[in-house]
Amino acid sequence: MTTPSSPSPSGQSPGLTIEQRRAHDPRVTFFHLVVALALVVLASGLAYQQLLKVDAHAEAERVQNQRRIVHPGPRGQILDREGRVLAGNRPRFSVRLLLDALRSEIRTEQIRIRRNYRQLEDAAASDLPSAVQILQIARATVVQRYLDQVNALIGRAEKVDARDLDRHFARELLLPYTLLDNLAPAEYARLLEGLPVNSPAQVHTASVRHYPHGSAAAHTLGYVGTGDAGEIEDFPGGDLRTFKMKGTVGRDGIEKRLDDQLQGEAGGAIFRVDPAGNRIHPPLQQVLPRAGQDVRLALDLDLQLAAEARLAETEMAGAAVALDVRTGEVLVLASKPDYDLNAFSPRLGAAAAAEITARGAWFKRAIQGVYKPGSIFKVLTAVAGLRAGTLDPAATISCGGSMRVGTRSFSCHDGTAHGEVDLVTAITKSCNLYFYRAGLEMGPEVLATEARRFHLDQPTGIELPDETRRMLIPDPAWKRRLTGEGWAGGDTAQFAIGQGYVDVTPLQMACFAASVARDEVWTQPYLLHDPARPPQRQEATGLNAAQRAALLRGMEQVTQRPHGTARIFQDPRVLAPLPGLRLAAKTGTAQKQDPKGMINFAWLIAFAPVEDPRIAVAVAIEGDTPGEETGGGRYASPVAHAIFKAWLEKRNRPPGLPVRFRNG
Amino acid sequence: MPFKRFRQANPLLTLGLIVAAWLLLPTALKTLARASFFELTAPVTLAASRVRDLQDFWALRARSRTELIEAGRDLARVNASFELAVQQNGELRAEVARLEELLRLPPLRDHRLEHARVARRDFSGWWQRIVIRKGRDHGIPAGAPVIFSGGVVGRVAEVHANTAVVELISSPTMRLAGVVEGDTRPISFQGGVNPTLAPPRGVVELMPLDIIASPAVPKRLVTAGFGGVFPPGLTLGTILRADLASDGLFKSGEVALDPRLGTLTEVSVLVPVAPADAPVRAAP
Repeated sequence: MTTPSSPSPSGQSPGLTIEQRRAHDPRVTFFHLVVALALVVLASGLAYQQLLKVDAHAEAERVQNQRRIVHPGPRGQILDREGRVLAGNRPRFSVRLLLDALRSEIRTEQIRIRRNYRQLEDAAASDLPSAVQILQIARATVVQRYLDQVNALIGRAEKVDARDLDRHFARELLLPYTLLDNLAPAEYARLLEGLPVNSPAQVHTASVRHYPHGSAAAHTLGYVGTGDAGEIEDFPGGDLRTFKMKGTVGRDGIEKRLDDQLQGEAGGAIFRVDPAGNRIHPPLQQVLPRAGQDVRLALDLDLQLAAEARLAETEMAGAAVALDVRTGEVLVLASKPDYDLNAFSPRLGAAAAAEITARGAWFKRAIQGVYKPGSIFKVLTAVAGLRAGTLDPAATISCGGSMRVGTRSFSCHDGTAHGEVDLVTAITKSCNLYFYRAGLEMGPEVLATEARRFHLDQPTGIELPDETRRMLIPDPAWKRRLTGEGWAGGDTAQFAIGQGYVDVTPLQMACFAASVARDEVWTQPYLLHDPARPPQRQEATGLNAAQRAALLRGMEQVTQRPHGTARIFQDPRVLAPLPGLRLAAKTGTAQKQDPKGMINFAWLIAFAPVEDPRIAVAVAIEGDTPGEETGGGRYASPVAHAIFKAWLEKRNRPPGLPVRFRNG
Repeated sequence: MPFKRFRQANPLLTLGLIVAAWLLLPTALKTLARASFFELTAPVTLAASRVRDLQDFWALRARSRTELIEAGRDLARVNASFELAVQQNGELRAEVARLEELLRLPPLRDHRLEHARVARRDFSGWWQRIVIRKGRDHGIPAGAPVIFSGGVVGRVAEVHANTAVVELISSPTMRLAGVVEGDTRPISFQGGVNPTLAPPRGVVELMPLDIIASPAVPKRLVTAGFGGVFPPGLTLGTILRADLASDGLFKSGEVALDPRLGTLTEVSVLVPVAPADAPVRAAP
């Protein structure tokens, strides 16, 4: 019997099982070692990945599975003094195409187009479009295909603008391309149902500025442009793929001046997404956007609309300003021509911008227009003369229709003689000769000093950007500095009636009217409404009671007497009566030499009621035809009348009843 | 030995060849193969559905006579109320026709109802679908709305000869325009990511800020009718919650769908009727 351990004569071990024999096989042992080593490597790798790199993997998974969306906060509203919306927000629906998802489709289309061209038998090699052209054709074809799909759903026949598309691919490839904008609710509802959820074309909503009254207070409100959505403080996920919606930024007017206040705080959400990129609700984290603060303007919408409507009827450029006499709050700030603010949402087209430019509608005449004040300046001349003691209200002069100052002859405003004229009559009839003499007697420095005391040489500081600084109160030193010439008597005469070098804005003259109404020298205008704003208290004019009474009587007679320059107020055939309202006014007609000829500018300043002034108005109308008599009484009075009429109706109406109801 | 190894690799090789052949196959053939596969398996699906019906039949046969009598009484009551509702509907239809005539409104798009049994349910986190036992041969078109007594079921996604696949409104790839009952502003409704056995949910977006919905004051969401597919006024679900969305312009929220969506046995397909085929409205 052979023991299991003893080898057979042939040198083999027939008594061993196969397993026993292989256990001692060095090759198998080596193989075991290799396998063991491989397992150790695998286990180590697994442990490394699972224990040491777990944070990195979790982070990679988070970045891959989560998306971050940042929305701008809705912009605050701009309201009038009674809380009516002048500028608000509204949703705007559009169809946008996600270009990232079109890459393979465009590539396929490129190949197809190239093949088609090559198959054309009669096409020469030189006729073949370049690779760039084929790419452009392919893009337009693919995008048009999606647009056709949208067209079919909503019954339109829109075409892709190839140039616009190329521009978008070149500059904004990462952003979706807007196929159709400003969809009606029924259209976006159809698209919601008709477009597949995973289609590259998707319905998108955005907030756009909405101006319910179109062009009302356009220059005051201003407009917005596209801006950044902003950042969210302490919002995580900065490393995630972030979709940032565009926000808005104020570009002009109150929208620009108070942009910080109106701008909302951005909000956002982090969503988990499925492999197709669809959001899974609810969001993992969310920060709600916060609307910007509302801004309440001092403007009164009823008065503003009344003024603008009447300004528009003149079919001439012009401006109208009305102030609350006591507080200086601006009730009306109108300027024509203007523009429809809704044309800026979401952006102003080149054609519309060119049209606004052609009409000169960008120009804010109320705060940027500098005009010769003409005869409304006589009120200041009167105040200056009375304070300086060179003017006696009871004293009269003889107006012969013209007078000589130095070598020049100066005529009265209508070329007729007014006869014996005192201060009241001079104001009522706007007698130039009276004020030439008054100016000459007090001298230009006194007049200039008085004008500066009324702040007519500086901007008012209203809360608007772009108020002009080109207003001018001249004096002999200024003229010598500017022209090197001396001041002539004729310069003083011109200065005294608001002609010559003096330049003012309509807003300044409204402030001036409010100041005269309060018997003070300065009114700070405020565009922002503050219900608790105290009445202004400024330096008094310094007129005694008799002087002030004469001044006010003259201004009141301007609208009351048959020879008053604003007697149109008493003509019921032209303007509706303003029962019970005593007006103090002064008209003006200034001239400006234009390349086309002499252009007239119509002015009117007024305040009411005379016994307890509450509202002050200034109106300026630019004549547009050389030689045409654009008088303040005829052209500016109706605009001021419209403002006073609206104001009076509001004052007399029962509480809570809107003006338009009373008008029927 | 090498020969043996080669033989062992045969299955892998065969699989590789099949995959390669599939990849190289023209798209038309692949589409045909997919459609054929569905048509080939359709009889199995139908047979299984009919066996289930048979099973239900025999289960009902096992009920006692007393139970059947009680069920018959209940049914008689329900029938009576339905008969009353049918009469009222007839009057209302006549009134609607009279008003349409008076206001010269265009006639509403007409549909005919095609009732179909549910053959199979296919629910997952990715999609929620049912297969119904009627298809192209019964005049069912793709995209047709599908409803049941609780409101909207979904839309026909695929049509085959004797079957059709219906995508449920609880599916995340389903989106509709709805309105809150009594309101006219369209709201986006989309199916949610629904786990297989969970109560079906959907989400609403673009909901106006002034609409308030909460569990205490739920709002019924119905089809808007703007899309041209679903008639207006069909129930989609109930908005249980709506919060300010991240854009700050709208609200978004959650919609509870009818829990019977998961156990549907019979649905109705709204098949659009061509104007020439439309029944003449009753004169007022």
